[in-house]
Amino acid sequence: MRAHPDSPVSSRRSHIFTAVCFFFLAVFATSVLLLIIADILYIDKKAVVSVLTSSFIRDALWLSTWTSFTTTFISLLFAVPMGYALSRFRFPGRSLADSIVDLPIVFPPLVAGLTLLVFFSQTALGRWIQEDLGLEFVFQPKGIVLCQFVVTASFAIRFAKTAFDEVDRRFENVALTLGCTRWGSFWRISLPLARNGIIAGGILTWARAFGIFGPLMIFVGSFRGRTEVLSTTVFLEQSVGNLEVALAVALLMIFIAYIALLTIRLVVSSSMVKL
Amino acid sequence: MIRTDKLSFRIGEFQLDQVSIEVTRGEYFSLLGPPGSGKTLFLECLCGLVKVLSGQIYIDEKDVKNLEPRVRGIGYVPQDYALFPNLSAEKNIAFGLCVRGCSREVISRKVLQAAEILDIGHLLRRSVYGLSGGEKQRVALARALVMEPKVLLLDEPVCALDEATRQEVCAQIHSVQRQLGLTTIHVSHNLEETFSVADRAAILYQGRLQQVGAMNELLRRPQNEFVSRFMRCRNIFSGQVSAQEPNSSNTRVRVGGVDLLVPGKHRGRIKFIIRPESILLSNNPSSGSVDNKLQVKLICSRDFGNYVQVELKGPLDLVAHLSHAAFAELKAKLQTDLTAVLQAENIHVLPE
Repeated sequence: MRAHPDSPVSSRRSHIFTAVCFFFLAVFATSVLLLIIADILYIDKKAVVSVLTSSFIRDALWLSTWTSFTTTFISLLFAVPMGYALSRFRFPGRSLADSIVDLPIVFPPLVAGLTLLVFFSQTALGRWIQEDLGLEFVFQPKGIVLCQFVVTASFAIRFAKTAFDEVDRRFENVALTLGCTRWGSFWRISLPLARNGIIAGGILTWARAFGIFGPLMIFVGSFRGRTEVLSTTVFLEQSVGNLEVALAVALLMIFIAYIALLTIRLVVSSSMVKL
Repeated sequence: MIRTDKLSFRIGEFQLDQVSIEVTRGEYFSLLGPPGSGKTLFLECLCGLVKVLSGQIYIDEKDVKNLEPRVRGIGYVPQDYALFPNLSAEKNIAFGLCVRGCSREVISRKVLQAAEILDIGHLLRRSVYGLSGGEKQRVALARALVMEPKVLLLDEPVCALDEATRQEVCAQIHSVQRQLGLTTIHVSHNLEETFSVADRAAILYQGRLQQVGAMNELLRRPQNEFVSRFMRCRNIFSGQVSAQEPNSSNTRVRVGGVDLLVPGKHRGRIKFIIRPESILLSNNPSSGSVDNKLQVKLICSRDFGNYVQVELKGPLDLVAHLSHAAFAELKAKLQTDLTAVLQAENIHVLPE
């Protein structure tokens, strides 16, 4: 391994430290790769053909894709103003609001699904939304987005807040003296400077939304062609003994997620170079 | 012109306490004080970046206390310049003009004008990441100047620069200020820097204004012990008036076992200072008048480049600043006995 040109001169002891760091990195990366390879070795050609040609998997893939991207979009829509408010404003109950934002992260995902089901089927407000407003979520595709949003939005908000925290407030102050309104300084300065952190939050939100499973089974079920997403397909296939198909679907999910993460990371790093 | 009237602001335990200053049109005013004295906070109050607790702020006789920062007509260069890292030097300078919705021609003309004045034309296309401290400072100044502010506020504009660049940038800021006739407030904790640019200065300590005046006045006629020490005078003594001099406006004061003549009529205990550069040293005990003559021993000398600081032990422990020529003429070594003459007219009695 060659040292980076701006690395400091290091002693033998430092090399040992570096080796220890790389050891853990190698163990982890190898373990993940071994698990994926084990899956690849297990599946057969028939399972792959079945996954690539069956219409219900195509439907599930499409549903997984559009719901996860919609969830990410809505999460970011909430995350940016909320992250900015938590980062910049001092208001009564700020600590409470800050903790509530983190609550869905520590929720067991199943509990989130159960809570949503109870809210929409057992409370007056929930029933009013479903029945009188006509916004049906339970066992509906809309419910997938709601479920994913409840479980994942906190990541986007937390990342957005941290990103705004890292933008020096003096930039905004100078922008204010240069003629900007508060909105102007946010739009022209804070948001562009916090962009990478917000995108990172978006990536994590999307990845989590794409793979979510437990709460969906409870809140929207798994109706083939209607509320079945890829993660529930994996569950359904393995529960009826189609382990090869289940693993092939899982590999498809891993492949899509990896390509998506890699693409976004490349876009972000190229925009960072431009800064 | 900018004026504050009993301006107060509180943040936690710290308070800016009824700060009143007036800076006339085209004046270069410096706000001095040790770190943590409230200088930056005071500038932020003037900019409107924090809401003042009480008091008034007038710019050209208009009360701006409740106006947003963007309409106050203030150009602000914060410490470390706060150049927008996502924009090039040119876009940084043009930022305010873009916000105002100026046409491309106007923006281009004004940016080039500012760049010419500050000699940064070659930096315009550069990213702010690669700029040196001095270059960043000039870009930040240009960004403020293109807005044609009524008042320019500079928060420690050269503190991060090396000595040579600091002098060069100070000279350039001063020249631009004179050229444009800009009312300027320059915050600093550095005396040399302030001497090189300011017409007048104020000294702030723990949120309270200690004294306002010309630099020479702050140096020679400090109002209190803090100002004296801040202006690097360590010769501060407290003595008991022992007699009024007949047929003279001087008073005789007993201090450290000796009687000193100090200017003016006083009673009781007084505090006075002696500027280090006003102490005359000689190795001839009979030189000078009989009054205010002390026998001292040289205990330490330090060369500060443009002067030599000597520490003297005697009835009063003194610190004196001598030119290199004067120090060489003394031919003094450590423990040498010397005669220090403290001329009455160079003794300043503190009013407090």
